[in-house]
Amino acid sequence: MDPAALAYLAAGLGAGIAAIGAGIGIGWLASSSMDGAARQPEAAGDIRGLMIVSAALIEGVALFALIICLLLVVLV
Amino acid sequence: MTGAPGAATRDHFFCFTCLFVTRIMVTRIRSFAVVALLLLGMGVAVTPSATHAADGEGELTLEGIVNNTIIGHATDGNYLNLKPFGSPELPRIMLARTAGGNLTIDAYGSTKSLLKNGPYGLMHHGDGADGGHADIITDPAQIEEAIASKEHLHSSVARTSGHVVADFSITRHFVLSFLAFLIVTGVFVTLAQRYKKGIGRTTAPHGTLQNMMEVMVVFIRDEIAKPNIQGEKWRTFLPYLLTSFFFILVANILGLVPFAGAPTSNIAITGVMAFMTFIIGLLYGSKDHYLELLTGPPDAPAFVRVILVPIEIIGLVMRHLALAIRLFANMLGGSLIIFSLLGLIFIMNVVFGQAAAWGTTVISIGFTVFILLVKLLVAFIQAYVFTTLSALFIGMSVEEHHHDGHESDSSTGQGDFESRLDAVEDAVEPTAA
Repeated sequence: MDPAALAYLAAGLGAGIAAIGAGIGIGWLASSSMDGAARQPEAAGDIRGLMIVSAALIEGVALFALIICLLLVVLV
Repeated sequence: MTGAPGAATRDHFFCFTCLFVTRIMVTRIRSFAVVALLLLGMGVAVTPSATHAADGEGELTLEGIVNNTIIGHATDGNYLNLKPFGSPELPRIMLARTAGGNLTIDAYGSTKSLLKNGPYGLMHHGDGADGGHADIITDPAQIEEAIASKEHLHSSVARTSGHVVADFSITRHFVLSFLAFLIVTGVFVTLAQRYKKGIGRTTAPHGTLQNMMEVMVVFIRDEIAKPNIQGEKWRTFLPYLLTSFFFILVANILGLVPFAGAPTSNIAITGVMAFMTFIIGLLYGSKDHYLELLTGPPDAPAFVRVILVPIEIIGLVMRHLALAIRLFANMLGGSLIIFSLLGLIFIMNVVFGQAAAWGTTVISIGFTVFILLVKLLVAFIQAYVFTTLSALFIGMSVEEHHHDGHESDSSTGQGDFESRLDAVEDAVEPTAA
């Protein structure tokens, strides 16, 4: 198989898997923070702030993966 | 495509109006310059057969899309992109080592004059992918041709004798970040003078701008600085946090402005900002922080410390690196999505014909508008996230632990937990009864 084709394949699959991982992570985060906010509506503001920060941390990992995929496509 | 020039230009117009709104920019860091050059090569490789589908309309071939549209917007170029009104070139300043071994500074008003008057030639990008050493074009006729087709703006230059040590050229992202800096300075100097006069201190804040900014400043003070930085130390770091928040916010919003672009989609700029957070953390770091960083947790056995200390140090560097990459990738990612959506119109035009392109236009523009709105949200969220994480990291390094012994510390924690449990029981009992 052509190495370039393999690299494109790897980049596509990698981006997809990274998206799955980040989706699961942020999904759990959102579900538990909604639970928290529903149980304790007065803490909803704090929970929202913490949620955004944690979502950014999870997203950061996914973005690392995304950059690697981008480099795979572009540097092949 | 060639049969219906009217529709093509309209398509064109549509695309351009939206393309101006955002653009992808990759950094000047060398690897990304390679990236840009290779994207050019990729355009040739993607569809060798489809590239000739629309002769005469250079921009409507897949090659043209990649070369002229995406590359023009994707890279941090040495020109401002005001497409229908031309593209003014920016000064080139090169620190170079001559063949004789001396360092010189070559400064020219534009890339054009650099090529015409300086000892520089264009790099021939076609063979860059496989050859490794590319040849330099110095033939005046060829350079004239490249300048006429604006090709020189998308290629890299090289010195004919000696080599370039560092490229200090003024680039679009530099200009835009300077613009962001001027906007932020202008707004806040104006407001500071108002507060000096007493408006906002002795009376209520007056006017939209002052009210809007005061809300944000108070938000950053109360929601970001105070909770994350121990004790009264937040006062030291509030100016830095405010500066980074408003600079990032303005820079991000510049990415939504026609003819401009987001300077934060350049990893050099986000890297410098994360580096500043890192340096502040190091300079103001407390003794406790350094002790824990360099010797491990206080009550850990020696062999655990040996493992933990490198992890702590790597973690410290990595989280600041992640801070830079998060902002950069978010801003770049938003532009990339928009380009993919708009590029789809052209690809449909080339591959399936005009009807498919018109069909795609409706969908693409709809999605693009949606993504633009998301980008506006992301502009605020990323500024907030960067500032919050900066505050968190700074707070972690300036934090001082209680020095009244470990036992009492844990016992107060225990007591706190028990009192909380009591409170929960009190809350639960009545409903149960």
